[in-house]
Amino acid sequence: MPDSFHVGIIRFPGTNCDLDTWEALSLVPGLLPRWVGHRERSLEGLDAIILPGGFSYGDYLRTGIIAARSPVMEAVGTFAEKGLPVLGICNGFQILAEAGLLPGTLLQNSGRTFLCRDEGLSVEQTRTPFTLFFSPGARIRLPIAHQEGRFYADGDLLLELETKGQILCRYQDNPNGSLRDIAGITNAQGNVAGLMPHPERRMVGEGAAAHGRLFFQSLAAWLAGEREASPLTFSSSILDRS
Amino acid sequence: MADIPASRFRIPPQEMERIVALLGRVPNITEEAVFSALWSEHCSYKSSRIHLRNFSSKGPRVLMGPGENAGVVRVTSRLGIAFKMESHNHPSYIEPFQGAATGVGGILRDIFAMGARPVALANSLVMGYLRQPRQMTLFRNVVAGIGAYGNAIGVPTVGGEIWFDERYAKNILVNAFAVGVVPDDAIMSAIPPDKPLLAVYLGNKTGRDGVSGAAMASRSFSGEESDLRPQVQVADPFVGKKVMEATLSIIRRGLAGAIQDMGAAGLTSSSVEMADKAGKGIEIDVLTVPLRDSTMEPWEILLSESQERMLLLVEEKNVAAILDLAHESQVAAAVIGRIIPEPVFRVKKGEALYGEVPVACLTRDAPLYDRPRKARTSGSSAPGHPHPSSSGSHSIADLFLRILEHPNGGSADWIYRQFDHEVGTRTILGPGHDVAIVDLREEDRAIAIALAGFSHPVSRDPERGGALLVAKTVTDLAAVGAWPVGLTDCLNFGNPERPETMNDFVMAVAGVAGAARRLDIPVVSGNVSFYNETDGVSIPPTPILATCGVLASPRTAPPGSVGEEGLHLALAGAVSDLSLGGSMLDWLLPELEAEPVPVIDWETLSRLQPFLSALVSSRRLRGSRAVGRGGLLRTLLSLVAPHRDMGVHLRLPALDNPLGTFFSEAPGRIVLAYRPEEETAVRETASEFGIPVLFLGQTALHRFFLHYRDREKKDKEIRLPLSAIAKKYLTALTGQMETLP
Repeated sequence: MPDSFHVGIIRFPGTNCDLDTWEALSLVPGLLPRWVGHRERSLEGLDAIILPGGFSYGDYLRTGIIAARSPVMEAVGTFAEKGLPVLGICNGFQILAEAGLLPGTLLQNSGRTFLCRDEGLSVEQTRTPFTLFFSPGARIRLPIAHQEGRFYADGDLLLELETKGQILCRYQDNPNGSLRDIAGITNAQGNVAGLMPHPERRMVGEGAAAHGRLFFQSLAAWLAGEREASPLTFSSSILDRS
Repeated sequence: MADIPASRFRIPPQEMERIVALLGRVPNITEEAVFSALWSEHCSYKSSRIHLRNFSSKGPRVLMGPGENAGVVRVTSRLGIAFKMESHNHPSYIEPFQGAATGVGGILRDIFAMGARPVALANSLVMGYLRQPRQMTLFRNVVAGIGAYGNAIGVPTVGGEIWFDERYAKNILVNAFAVGVVPDDAIMSAIPPDKPLLAVYLGNKTGRDGVSGAAMASRSFSGEESDLRPQVQVADPFVGKKVMEATLSIIRRGLAGAIQDMGAAGLTSSSVEMADKAGKGIEIDVLTVPLRDSTMEPWEILLSESQERMLLLVEEKNVAAILDLAHESQVAAAVIGRIIPEPVFRVKKGEALYGEVPVACLTRDAPLYDRPRKARTSGSSAPGHPHPSSSGSHSIADLFLRILEHPNGGSADWIYRQFDHEVGTRTILGPGHDVAIVDLREEDRAIAIALAGFSHPVSRDPERGGALLVAKTVTDLAAVGAWPVGLTDCLNFGNPERPETMNDFVMAVAGVAGAARRLDIPVVSGNVSFYNETDGVSIPPTPILATCGVLASPRTAPPGSVGEEGLHLALAGAVSDLSLGGSMLDWLLPELEAEPVPVIDWETLSRLQPFLSALVSSRRLRGSRAVGRGGLLRTLLSLVAPHRDMGVHLRLPALDNPLGTFFSEAPGRIVLAYRPEEETAVRETASEFGIPVLFLGQTALHRFFLHYRDREKKDKEIRLPLSAIAKKYLTALTGQMETLP
C-alpha cells in the first residue's frame, strides 16, 4: 500500500479552479496532485480524478458540451468504469453529466443569474470515496458559484436516484431551483460524484471554514482502503457547533 | 495652401488646421484616422494633462508609475502589486453587457501586460433610478457583463460600490479596478529596450468592432447613440484567459522587450506610444494583421478596438518561441511590423505605403488645452430625486428609515452575489464591506482595497470633497489595520469645454492630489473620462478612487460583521467636525440647511491605522467597520444585519449634535466590536495612540435600541423593530430587482 496517492486534475482551456484544487489537494496528507491536459488519452498511474470548476472552452454553448467530447473524457470514462474515484466540481459536474457519466442535467438557475454565496447543505450518501468522513445527515456550509446549477431529471430518474441512494447532498435553502434540492449526486456504483458547491474553497481554518477539507480527507482514507465510516466520522452535531 | 477639408473623423476644424500645418499637407484618410484616435480626449488627455501634473506619483515603494499600462508598488521585499482603475462609461450605456464586460477585460490586460497575475477585481457603478425600464435593463446587463468576464476568466470580484442618482440616467458610470501580483524582478514595461525589435501581434483576430471607440468616448451623447453600437467592442473571456496565460508565460520566459495592450485606439495607440517611448519609429504592415474580415480598410484595422489583443516588441531571436507558444495556446499571433530608426509611424499594406506621420506629431505635438474655468455660483445642481413629501421636523428614527428604504442605503447583495468573489481562494474579506482583503499567500501579508466614488461631497465642494474621498478610503483601510501604499483614480466628469465642469475638475484634482500628498500616498495610475454629457447636461463631478493598502497580519483581520451577543461597541476616531455636508442624508433631504463638507482631522486620521493595527495584531477585535454611507446608525446596522436577530443596545452620553453624530459621513471614524474583557486593553491602546474613543453600547439580540441625552439634557430613546429594519436594509435593492419587471 503506497503512502500517497496520485490525484489527476483535468485542465480544459477555460478551467479556472485548477490551481485552487491543486492547493486543496496539497493540504491533505496522502494526496499528491498531478496535472492532466485535455488532450491526454491515458490516465495511467493515477488513483483518482478531479474535474475542477471553470468555464471549459468558454462555455458559450451549453456548459460542458465541448469538454465532454474532448479526448481526455474518453479516458475518464474508462477510468470510471474500473470503479476508480472521479469527482466533478461545479463545471466538472456539468461536464460529467454532459458526458453521461452522471445522471441528470444542470440547467440555468431559476433566478437566471450567476450566484456566488454560502449555502447550507446536508450530506446524505456517506458511503462514497468523497463522503466517508461524514455521518448521514451531517450539516455543512460550502460556497456555490455558478449560473447553471439547477439539477434536473425526469420523475422516473429522480425516483431511482432517491431509492438507490445516489443523492450525495442537498441544499437546505434551495438557491437555484434544483429538483429535490439536489446539490450533488453519484452514479449508481457510487464512484463518480458531482458537486455544485466548491469544497476546495473551504480548506483552512476552524468550523465551516474547513468543511470542504472533509471531502478530500475522505478520498485519502478511501484510497488507503477504508470503506466504513471511521470513528473519526464528523457527525452533524459536531459540525453544527462550529 | 489648399483649403482645409472637413474631417471625416470628427476632428474639430481648428485641430485639422493644426494637423495640416504640422504635416505641411492634407492628411490622407489613413493618417486622418490615426490623428482622430491619438488626438482624441480619451488618448491624448488634452484637456486634463496639465492638471494631472498635480498628482505626485513618487514614493520609495513605487516601482512603476504613470505612463505604463498600470502602476506598480512594492508590498514585500520581493513582490509588487500592479493596479489601475478605468472607466467604460460610454460603451456601457450603448451596449451594457458588452460595454461592462470589455471594461473588465481591458483593465485585466493592463495588469497582466505588466507581468502581474491578476488576483482581484472591483468596480464602482453609478446608474439612474430603476423605476425606468431602460435603467433596469442597463443595470441588469452591466452587472451580468461584469460577472460574465470576471467569473469566466477566473479572477474574483472582491468589492464594489453602487449609487443610484437620476442625474446619471443618460450617462451611467462603469469603472473597473484590477490588481495583480508581480515579483519585482519580473516586471514588464511598455518602454522598449534600445535594440532592433519586431512588433508581434498576439490574441484575438481583428474585426470591425469598436472602430473609433476612443473617439466616441471623447464626445457627448445627443440622441443618436443607436448608431454607435458598432463602436462597442465584444468581449471573449475565453480567449482573454488564453491570451493572459500566454502573455504571462512569455514574460516569465523573458521573451518580450516591451508589451502594451491594444485598448483604446487599438493597434494605433499601442504601436505609436511604444515607439514614442523608445524615441524611435514603427512600421506596420496591415496585410500581416490577423483579421476576421479580409475586406477591412487599413484605417479600420488601425482603429479597431477588437478585444483580447496585445502588442509585443520582441528581439528577432525570440519570435519563433513566441509563435510556438501562441500556437500551443490556440491564440493567433503574427509579426506585423518593426521598430525603425526614423521617428515616424509608417503604415503599409504589402509594399504599398498608406500613410507616414512623424511620431512626435501624434504624441508631443497633440493639442494641450488649459480650458477656461469658472466657479459655480450656487454650489451644486439639485440632487435628482423626488423631494420628500413632508419637510420640516424629522425624527432621528424617520431619517434613519428613509436612508434604509432607499436602494442607495440598502445592502448591495443582489449585485455581488452575481460575481464569483472567491475563485483563486485568496479572498479573506469579500464584498459587502467597505474594504476587501486579498491574501498574498507567498508572504505573510495581504493587500486591502478600498473604493470611494460618492459624488455628493464633490458636488458640494470639489476640493474638500476630493480630499474627503481620499480620507474615506484611508479610513476603510485602517478599519482592518491596513496602511495605504498607492492610489489610482478614475475621474468622471462632464464636458470640459464648459468652464464650470473644468473648474470642478481642477478643484477636485487639487483636493485628491493634496490629500494624497499629505498622507504620502503616491497616485500611480489613473484615467480621465470627460464628456459624460447628454443633450447639454453634464453629470455631477465624480472622481472615483481606489486605494490599495497592506496588512501585516492577514489571518487576524477583523470581519466587517459580528454575530455575537454582548460585544462592546465603541467609536474610535475624530469627532471634531461632524458636518452633514455631502452625506447621504444631505443628498436625500435637500431642504436641510446646507452644511459644509467636513474638514478632515488629518492628525487623528494618520494615527488611526497604527492604532487599529495594534488592536488587530493582538487579536483584540471581533469586528470593525469604518463609518461610511448613511453615517453611524447605518454602519452599526450593517455590522450586525448579516446575522439574524442580532441588533444593538446603545447608551450614549449627552450629544450636542445628534444629527451629526448619527448621520455625518465625516471620515476618520471606525466602529469597533470587542469582548467586554478587552475594554481596558482597547482604552489603553487608544490613549497610547492618542485616539479618542466613545463607548457606544453592546450588541444585543432582537433589538435596535438607543438612548442619548440631547442638548437640553433631556432623555431620548429610540426603539426600532430590529427584524423590520434589518429586512429593509437587506432587501432595499434585492426586493426592487425581484419585484419590478
